[in-house]
Amino acid sequence: MYTRKTPWGIRVARQEVLGKKPLSILEKIRENLERLNEKMEVMIELQKHGKKDIQMLPAEAPLDVMTLLSMPDHLRKTAMTVCRLGRATAEEVAQQTKRARAVESAYLNQLVIMGHVKKERKGRKAYFYVDRDTQG
Amino acid sequence: MILARIIAVHSYKGGTGKTLLSLNLAATFVKRGKKVCLMDLDFRAPSLSTILKIDKAECWLNDYLNGTCEIDKVLIDLSDRFHDKDKFFVGLANPTTEAIRNMSAKDRKWEMRALGRLLALRNSLLEAKGFDYLVLDTSPGLQYSSINAIVTADLVIVATTCDRSDVDGTKRMLRELYDLFEKKTEVVLNKVLHDFSSKSGRDEVQSRIKDVYQVPLLGIIPCFCDISKAEGNAIFTQERPDHSFAKILDELANKIDNSLV
Repeated sequence: MYTRKTPWGIRVARQEVLGKKPLSILEKIRENLERLNEKMEVMIELQKHGKKDIQMLPAEAPLDVMTLLSMPDHLRKTAMTVCRLGRATAEEVAQQTKRARAVESAYLNQLVIMGHVKKERKGRKAYFYVDRDTQG
Repeated sequence: MILARIIAVHSYKGGTGKTLLSLNLAATFVKRGKKVCLMDLDFRAPSLSTILKIDKAECWLNDYLNGTCEIDKVLIDLSDRFHDKDKFFVGLANPTTEAIRNMSAKDRKWEMRALGRLLALRNSLLEAKGFDYLVLDTSPGLQYSSINAIVTADLVIVATTCDRSDVDGTKRMLRELYDLFEKKTEVVLNKVLHDFSSKSGRDEVQSRIKDVYQVPLLGIIPCFCDISKAEGNAIFTQERPDHSFAKILDELANKIDNSLV
């Protein structure tokens, strides 16, 4: 018997039979939801500020001071914070800029799309950094 | 609360006294017991090596920014000039024509890496080596190396004069450069010819400066013939500790020591 009925009559897989599989499936669903959420945040920001702010650049666009100067104010603040911190999560950037984590997450992902910042996932955390070593 | 520990000295025009101010401010900090590193980031017209009479260096700041050496190899210990130990270090720009030419031809990617290496000095010098202040002397105007220094700094001191084109350019630069980077900025009005003997004269200049630039005034330095006569041969505040210039610099250092960003 691989399933059991809940008091409400819903048939669910029995964890003792499937081992840790349901947990890992839930973990995967959460990860995908988080990624979907990040994409939604970027889309919301795109609508809010207009697409003119985000020029699609080649995969790698140097984040030099002249580029920083030409950015819209809201992105410059985020980009400068990443420059200063070297490598940071949206939460860490938000602590410096005093803006909401979700806002910084959206701005950071915009900077990734623009090719100025790189993103790396480690477990459930996403780290953003300026790739000064490989660019060039 | 973070102390302003990386100070960039910048100006719109050349000849406003950036190097004189940087060198003597660094020297004043040393006399106040601080451990200071002075860096010449004016790669287009290096001058600290001449003033300090240093012809050769194991490595120059150019090499550090090129990524070919670490900062330890660049720093020259000049503490003995203050009869002290482990207090005053300088990093020099290579003054040869070839080096100046090379630095003028760098691309955006190089400048991005240079910014990263300048930002890394906060850890390598202030945190790891215990420096109290890092003073960055820059090129005038909107040069890459100067803007990199501004982005790195906690405090930007803008050296300006009463020259009309300098005033207009400085105003623009404050609005269109420093404001965008949200930098703590203060102005030093240098080479002033106004009458400073009365308090009303000083107050008038101070209120005019605040109205024009809309940023705090760190200090006013009168035009001293004695400084011109010294012909940039030495650290003036050290040679003439009782001179009015040395006293003004001590006031500036005191304000910075107490200023919080």
